[in-house]
Amino acid sequence: MIELEQISKAYATHKGKNVVLDSVTFSFPARTNIGILGKNGAGKSTLLRIIAGTEHADSGQVRRHGAVSWPIGFTGGFSGSLSGEENCRFVARIYGADIDEVVGFTADFAELGEYFYMPVQTYSSGMRARLAFGLSMAIEFDAYLVDEVTAVGDARFSEKCRKAFLARSGHSSVIIVSHSLSTVKDYCERCAVVKNGKLVCFDSVDEANSFYEAAS
Amino acid sequence: MRGVLTQLQVVHALLLRETKTRFGASHLGYVWAFVPPATWIGMFAGVSAFFGRRLAPPGTSVLGFLVTGIVPFSAFRETATRCLYAIESNKGLLFYPQVRPLDLVIARVILEAATNVVLMALFMGGLALYEGPPRINSLFEVLIGLGLVTGLGASLGLLCCSLAVYSRTVERVFSVVMRLIFWTSALFHPVESLPKAARNALLFNPVAQCIEIVRDGWFPSYDARHSDVWYPLAWILVMAFFGLSVERMARRRLEVA
Repeated sequence: MIELEQISKAYATHKGKNVVLDSVTFSFPARTNIGILGKNGAGKSTLLRIIAGTEHADSGQVRRHGAVSWPIGFTGGFSGSLSGEENCRFVARIYGADIDEVVGFTADFAELGEYFYMPVQTYSSGMRARLAFGLSMAIEFDAYLVDEVTAVGDARFSEKCRKAFLARSGHSSVIIVSHSLSTVKDYCERCAVVKNGKLVCFDSVDEANSFYEAAS
Repeated sequence: MRGVLTQLQVVHALLLRETKTRFGASHLGYVWAFVPPATWIGMFAGVSAFFGRRLAPPGTSVLGFLVTGIVPFSAFRETATRCLYAIESNKGLLFYPQVRPLDLVIARVILEAATNVVLMALFMGGLALYEGPPRINSLFEVLIGLGLVTGLGASLGLLCCSLAVYSRTVERVFSVVMRLIFWTSALFHPVESLPKAARNALLFNPVAQCIEIVRDGWFPSYDARHSDVWYPLAWILVMAFFGLSVERMARRRLEVA
């Protein structure tokens, strides 16, 4: 379970303050997949980063019960001069996970073959994304935070990702931000929309969609 | 308590990673830490032999005098420089919420401290093989001096890398300061041998005092009456205090990147 209380965040621009989140209060229940829809620049990625703790809100509090992942889909947390395997070992260490298990799972999931033991700077962007995704699946989190915009992969791989989440749905939750309704429909039972700095929640994805469409 | 444990986990992971990125890039990785001070020592030993002038005070060998000056100085410079770029070169890792900028610096300080001790031991061991067993005055004092230069490098590096988050100009000022310290650290002549005015000016440089302490520990006949431990220690505490304060303020600025 993750609780947001009065979360506000603004960025300084040359035209003055751009308020991205305006005292958002929300509670994400445990073991529930929630999709967050929003247009480009609406603040959905910022919201995800604040939930993860990668970024801090200007005011307000985030209370996390259980282990929360980093925003998945990001591929810059790797050091280019180290191999995929060495990067996995590092992340396993900072999360206090079993190193061999994490390395084994990621090698298997990411399907990088020999590249897994080569420096990450030799990878294509697709390979980096597969490594990032495999690694995040290798560590047990209570909540997986997914930024769909940056998570790439071909159809077969995204099907594999979907199955991986399904396998966890009994004991973990997925919070996914996206601007595409179909992704959210695929994964989530409930849906929320980020609009004008507020987070509006809906019980069904269809209700959310009509609000989301009306917003455009 | 859990926070402390997580931080230890993070620093440990960073330490292993730093070791690999610093020394693992080539097969001779560890040798490269040895090359710069060795080059300096060789160069100045050559120069002083060529001119036939004795730079070192009586009771010390030229080589020993150079080793006890250049190795601590290079320990200081290397520590400070590695810390200066600790945040910049690992920014990507700040993406993981439990990794703080301070952890990046701490990991580098630990690695540099270990490297410094090993280098000092190697150079002094080499010296002993070359000149015969030394009559060390106090190994404890040598280690204190080495610890102090490492501390000075670490606190200066921490302060500068936090300031560099705000302005990259700091890096240029840093290299000027390094040059200044190089020429005022009494690497090639004992502080005692200088005229009083020059000596007093030189003693404002905490690194010079640390080098005097190392030499006092190494040579039984060396006179380091003008240096004391508290002066460099005060520098360390003041720079660390400001460094830690600026690092706290810089955290917010870093996460947006």
